[in-house]
Amino acid sequence: MGGDWQELAQSAVIGLIFAFLVAKLISVVLAFKEDNLRITRSAPAPAPSSSPDAAAPALDGGDGDGDSDSDGDWEGVESTELDEDFSAASAFVAASAAGVPEQAQLRLYGLYKIATEGPCTAPQPSALKLKARAKWNAWNKLGAMPTEEAMEEYITIVDEIFPNWSDGSKKKDGETTMSASGSKGPMGPVFSSLMYEEDQGNESELGDIHVSAREGAIDDVKKHLAAAVQINIRDSEERIPLHWAVDRGHLDAVEVLVNSNADVNAQDNEGQTALHYAVLCEREDIAELLVKHHADLQIKDGDGNTAQDLCSSAWPFMKPAN
Amino acid sequence: MAAPNNDQPAASASASTSDAALAAPEDTSIEALARRVQEHMTLANNPTARRHKFWETQPVGQFGDVADVSLPDGAIEPPSPLSEVRADPYPLPAAFEWFTCDLDDDALLADLYALLAHNYVEDDENMFRFNYSPAFLRWALRPPSFFRAWHIGVRAKESKKLVAFISGVPARIRARDDVVRMAEINFLCVHKKLRSKRLAPVLIREVTRRVHLENIWQAAYTAGVVLPTPITTCRYWHRSLNPKKLIDVGFSRLGPRMTMSRTVRLYKLPDAPLTPGFRQMELRDVAAVTRLLRAYLARYVVAPDFDELDVEHWLLPQEDVVDSYLVESPETHEVTDFCSFYTLPSSVLNNANYSTLKAAYSYYNVAVKTPLQQLMNDALIVAKQKNYDVFNALDVMENEGFLKELKFGPGDGQLHYYLYNYRIRNGIKPSELGLVLL
Repeated sequence: MGGDWQELAQSAVIGLIFAFLVAKLISVVLAFKEDNLRITRSAPAPAPSSSPDAAAPALDGGDGDGDSDSDGDWEGVESTELDEDFSAASAFVAASAAGVPEQAQLRLYGLYKIATEGPCTAPQPSALKLKARAKWNAWNKLGAMPTEEAMEEYITIVDEIFPNWSDGSKKKDGETTMSASGSKGPMGPVFSSLMYEEDQGNESELGDIHVSAREGAIDDVKKHLAAAVQINIRDSEERIPLHWAVDRGHLDAVEVLVNSNADVNAQDNEGQTALHYAVLCEREDIAELLVKHHADLQIKDGDGNTAQDLCSSAWPFMKPAN
Repeated sequence: MAAPNNDQPAASASASTSDAALAAPEDTSIEALARRVQEHMTLANNPTARRHKFWETQPVGQFGDVADVSLPDGAIEPPSPLSEVRADPYPLPAAFEWFTCDLDDDALLADLYALLAHNYVEDDENMFRFNYSPAFLRWALRPPSFFRAWHIGVRAKESKKLVAFISGVPARIRARDDVVRMAEINFLCVHKKLRSKRLAPVLIREVTRRVHLENIWQAAYTAGVVLPTPITTCRYWHRSLNPKKLIDVGFSRLGPRMTMSRTVRLYKLPDAPLTPGFRQMELRDVAAVTRLLRAYLARYVVAPDFDELDVEHWLLPQEDVVDSYLVESPETHEVTDFCSFYTLPSSVLNNANYSTLKAAYSYYNVAVKTPLQQLMNDALIVAKQKNYDVFNALDVMENEGFLKELKFGPGDGQLHYYLYNYRIRNGIKPSELGLVLL
């Protein structure tokens, strides 16, 4: 009799142990599955423009990279203010999780999943995984809530818990916009061009007519001349307006000036004539025009070079035979 | 530009961290909390430190590590057994497939060239786009013992059109006293129409996987953006060779009170190199150049460890790819100095008169007998002779010693250098860097 009880108790104990082991095994398997699930979940960087892009889920295994999209081509254009606020809010929550009440945590979790992944399609976790089950429930019960609605509610909840949350993150947004403005990729070389240095040539002082000639503003040049401004007036480097028109390549302005009897052979403070300028700047049409107006090919600049000496092109009108 | 970037760091941060945060009750610990708070503080205090969801999961120096003096220099993670490296390529969106580009095949090379020529790096104002030549790509991607599997393309399944690319090439790079086998990662490019597909991170993961499969666990790369965490940040400098064209295409600007003619004269160079014995490098010079270069690069904290095969590949002149010159003493015929530059033209976008900007990029230079400034002046002269429009140099190695004197002007581009899975805790100065990535 006593033996029966013993046997029964023994098999009951063994049964219990066995049941426990099986349960444990299941929970381990599920936990493993869930871990994988978590990796995939956090994978697609939550495109703020969480357009239900059919291609996105396929990227899950690849882990999304938030750093990888700045081009305005497609998606950037669709990215709305709501997207950005939601991103900022979720980033804030991530950074201050400790302060979020548990109840709100689950609600935020569900909304976050809707906003970033859409309706819940993941299998229900085992009842043994309390936390995972609670999270799954929070997501699943929102059903087919639209993305925008989820984002809005998410932001509202964050606003309630942390009234000042946006102070910090707005700043972050500003930087984001700034640094995203470039077309630099996440990796690779950089295209750099010369930084503009303001002080370049700053010592020069120009008269109004020099400026007009430099800009090729023919009408203004004519106005100055009509107002009895000297056509050969010098700037601080002893350039006449003709030098400036030639330097910037304004053929029409050069024409106006030489036709108004500008001195084609005037030399600047380095001894250079308008023809020197035309040759150095490789302005063939202007050089030809100057030569036609009897520019002297033999005038030497401060370095002892004639315009001919400086001419690297084979322009026929620059031949000494002239 | 190569692939779109960081529109939404805040968003990206949120993905992992809010999940992590919500999972927190399962693994809450004081340390984890403290770490999170500290991260938050770091981010709040450091404007350059934005959240990088992807890079925070990678074995790279993290912004928060800077203050931690207990972290040793060297590998961040030990190598894994090869059996633990993921065997299959990472999944791609359904319409795309992985495709290894065999650059022996001229047609594939042309496809790669076209992808990059139309979709690779541009300047901030979209006035220029890098236009690496096919010959350059072959040179850059096929150094000694390169791995074909590291030339990774993505193409559309249906049209077979190449739409994205990333590459690695093997290199031995020395960091302090430690010569490490690394991959140099470059040419990450996603077609402009596909920038929303988030291919870049998959490409980076895939190249990482294939590098791991060769039992290589470290990499070097550059970026124009700040990621966790640069070992150093360099600036580009530019020396005008054809100032009029540079101004006309908008590469540089002419001050309102400066004349073009004076600018042209300012940048004029002699017609021929000035140093006696200055000549092009030839095959017979490989041993001498290797000796010079090895001795010289030993001075730097991070530099490639070149052997003769590397020197033959990377520095023997190839027309419009890489140019190398040396000074051979007229008396002793000893090779005393060496300089080199590579050729990287850019397309000029939307300019009526010009379609290409031809740029030389300073590569490796060693001045022993000849003053560096004189040597580089000769490099400028030959570059001008060969019709380059501009000569660019980073402020790495000893370059600062000649930039201003030779009329280089500072550029608007900063280039950050990175090591993957290798920590150099306090970073280094550009002048301590002896590595130039293409």
